This record gives sequence, C-alpha cells and structure tokens, in this order.
Amino acid sequence: MVEFLQFTLSGISFGMIYAAIALSLVLIWRGTRLLNFAQGGMAMFTTYIAIEVIYHTGSYWAGFVCALAAGVVLGTVAQLVVIRPAQGKPELNAVIITIGLLVLLEGLAGIFYGGQFRSFPAAFSVTGLHVGSTALGVSRFDVFVAAAVLATTLLLAVGFRYTSAGLRMRAAAFNATVARLSGIRVARVITVGWALAGLLGALAGVLVSPSTFLYPNSMDTIFVFGFTAAVIGGLDSPLGAVIGGLLLGVALSYAGGYLGSQVTALVALGILVVVLMIRPGGIFSGAQVRRV
Amino acid sequence: MTSPAGAQEGQEGREGAGARAHGAASLAVEDLVAGYGEVRALNSVTIMASGASITAVLGANGAGKTTLLRAISGMVRPRSGRILLDGADRAGRSPEDMARAGVAHVPEGQGVIAELTVEENLRLGTMSWPGVARRRSDRGAALAEAYERFGVLADRRRKLAATLSGGERQMLVIARALIARPRVLLLDEPSLGLAPRIMTQVMDMVVRLSRESGITVVLVEQNARAALAIADHGVVLNLGRVVAAADASTLAADVALRHHYLGF
Repeated sequence: MVEFLQFTLSGISFGMIYAAIALSLVLIWRGTRLLNFAQGGMAMFTTYIAIEVIYHTGSYWAGFVCALAAGVVLGTVAQLVVIRPAQGKPELNAVIITIGLLVLLEGLAGIFYGGQFRSFPAAFSVTGLHVGSTALGVSRFDVFVAAAVLATTLLLAVGFRYTSAGLRMRAAAFNATVARLSGIRVARVITVGWALAGLLGALAGVLVSPSTFLYPNSMDTIFVFGFTAAVIGGLDSPLGAVIGGLLLGVALSYAGGYLGSQVTALVALGILVVVLMIRPGGIFSGAQVRRV
Repeated sequence: MTSPAGAQEGQEGREGAGARAHGAASLAVEDLVAGYGEVRALNSVTIMASGASITAVLGANGAGKTTLLRAISGMVRPRSGRILLDGADRAGRSPEDMARAGVAHVPEGQGVIAELTVEENLRLGTMSWPGVARRRSDRGAALAEAYERFGVLADRRRKLAATLSGGERQMLVIARALIARPRVLLLDEPSLGLAPRIMTQVMDMVVRLSRESGITVVLVEQNARAALAIADHGVVLNLGRVVAAADASTLAADVALRHHYLGF
C-alpha cells in the first residue's frame, strides 16, 4: 500500500513534466497543425544555458529565470527564422525543418558543451519526505516540480480564458480565416504560441534534468513521453495534454515500480496504441463542431 | 420612419461619446482581375458603392460573386486593378489590415467560431478597433448594444456558438460585424440555408443596419428577388464580368435580364 502511494506520487511528479512538454506541443499544434520535433532539443539547449548561468552566478534562480527567458527567445526566433518561411508550403516541409532544428541544436550542444553527462542542481532538497515514519517516495523538489508546472498551466488557462490575448489565440487556433477577418494578426499569434511553447519546454528541461542528467540527447525520451501524453489528450486540448501527462506519468511509474524500469518505454508505446485504437482523436478530443 | 435628419440625431444620441467609426464610406473597385491558379474568376470588374446604401451583387454559381468579396476583404490577392476605400488604393492588403481599415466581411455560412461562446464571438468584433485604451472603456457598451438589438443572443451569451440554430448564427455573425464598426460590410449569402421567415428577418436587419448606421453594404445573394427588394443598386456578374449595373428597381424591371442571368 505504501509502495503504491510512493509510485503514484512520483508518477504525478514526472507526469507534470510530460504534461509541460505535451502542453508545449499542443500550443504549436493548435495554431498551425505542426508537430514541433525540436521541442525537446530546445528544452535541452535552454537547460545548458541555465547550467552556465548557475555556474557563473552561483544562483539557481538566476539560471531558472534565464532558462525560461531563453525558451521564449528560442521559440520566437525559431518560428520567425525557420518556420515562417515554410508557411503556405506543403506541411511536411515544416515538419522536416523542426527535425533539422533538433539535429542542429543537439549538434551545437555537443560542440559547445561536449557529450558528457552533466548533473543539474535541484532547487530544493531531493531527499524523500516522510509522514511520521512512512516514506512518501517524493522529495521537496518533486513537490516543487508539480507546483511549478501546475501554476504555469493554471496561469496559461486563465490567460487563454479571460484575456483578449487569450481570446485571440483561441480564435486563431479554431478558425484562422474568421480570426483574420476580425482583424486578428494570426501570424503574430502563432509566433506568441511558439514563444509560450518555448517557455514550457524550458521549464520542463530545468525541472527534469536533476533526475536525468543533462547531455545533448537527454530530452529525447522526455519528448517522446510528452508527445505520447499529448496524443493521449488529443493534441488539440490543453487540458487533455495535462491530464494525458499525469495519466502517463502514473502509469509509467507503476510499470517501472512493479514490472521493472526496462519496460516503461514499452508500456508507453502500448498505451499509445490502445488509445489510438479506441479513440483515434485522443481521450479529450472535442466533439467535431467546426463544420456546420 | 423619421426624416433622415431625425435618424441622424437618434443615431448620435444612442452612440453617446463612443468612438464610432461608422459613417459614409466610398468603395470603388476598378478593373479588378483575380482568380485561383489558372482560373480567372474576375475579369476587369468595376463596381462602386458609397454612403448608406446596399449594393446587391447577383449572378449564377461561378459568376465570381464570392471571389469579388474575398478580393475586397484581402482574402484573395488581386492580379491587377484597384480597390479604393475612400480614395486610397488598398488592393493586395491582408485581411487583418482590411478589417482594421473598416471592412467587415461575413463569409458564407462559416462566420461563427463554434468552439467559442456567443460572447467571445462578439468580442472578436472588437479586435479590429484601433488603440488599446478605447477597447476597455467601449467594449462593454458595444456588447450591451448588440445584446439590446439581438435579444436572442443575450439569453445565450455564455453558451457555445455551436448550440445556436442557423438563423441565430447568422444574427451572431452580423452582430459581430457591427461591433467592429465597419464602414463597409460585405455579406456573402446571409440567407443561405435559412427558413423563409428567418430569411426575411435577416434581410430586414440588413436594411435597418445600412440606414441607421450609414454602413455601405455589399450583398452577395443567390436569391436575386429578395436581394433586389432591399438593395439600392444591383450589379450582375456573369463568368467574372459585369454584365449589368443599375438601380435595383431598374434591374428588377428588366425582364430579359432577369430571365437570362437571374432565373426569375
């Protein structure tokens, strides 16, 4: 029973990271129907920037903030410089550009920082918390991970729901034609989507790296899990992405805990297949209301 | 009805100090050529519309009516020709720019965003307003005015637009277009798919809007009889060319033209 609780809590903590990646993929997908394969690479790169800042300033929080800022800048620049020119061309072009961007970022990271594993500091203690004498299997840092992603997600949700900028983003995602005819600069909205996605990816990068080490390919697996979470959620739904991330995190935690960590990737694939068989649009795909 | 002067007064009173951008505009399309790929949908089309008037654009399927509206609102880039809004050539501008310049385009049958609520759809109408300061102070008033005019929308403001009927959607789209305070309103088949009684309501509304707010309306309609009944002027397109342009009553009285191009 205690084991079950431990697996659940650590699953939630990892699930929040998958949720952050999933959410970043959804933000870009909704606007342009483009899957950003470079999302993990961008997160890896901003985490290297964080490590440099932490090394030079000695402050974790300086590195944390710089990573998020770098995520925003990287997302914006990537969209403006390499993605926007591919708009209006066959969809595959942009997909391949994101793969090229991934290879470029991983290559640059290898050149600048070398291929060795580097440890990344955690903001809070990583020793397990206890209730009485029972170990919970989560640390103060795990709580911080969950809280940070949750706070960011809620902030985004409130922004989407209640601000004019949020309405512009939703309108552009649902119906770009009507949005443009209403005077919304959709191209600018898409760039903002990439900036927010960059921010979420950067957040996921600094939050996951204390548990995985940092190296040029360190985010690849996380990206695949984040992608799986996004597909479970339906790729279109921010709420679905978060719930998909949590479900996947908990499921993988049980699989790793009860069956052994070598099966987690296999279980993720199994979940993906099952979800796509039963609900190809994802669990939280909205009813098709677009066509009248 | 009141005299024109009275109507003007009433309009000012209702609008208060709001930065209403309504007012007589002049729209002139000159020698417009536009198309898709190899197809030339419009061939040297020239039309004029100005003031608080309704111009009906008529013709069979494939005559180029929708393309004309899409070219004016920037959704189709013209190959040549000019689109003059109050004398300034705006051919080839983006839809965003045209919306901000005061052109509201209600596309055929797809104007609402079904995933957004009724109120959110209406708020889209404020997106083309100039300046941020004005939006906050004015937005509430603009929405309230729309709800007053379209009571059925007020009851459903928090519902998703997907739950509205066809007629209600058309009202929503027109209400949104009005919140944008356009000087030129492009309406593509506003009566399409509506029951006759609802269609009459929508047509009446178009007339009222043009008269009350001084909007220049360009109305594309399959239903030529209904369109000519409310329009001031009519333009008949055939295979991308203007074959007739005259007062609506003249066109409606021209039996040969009606038989040949309009099918009634």
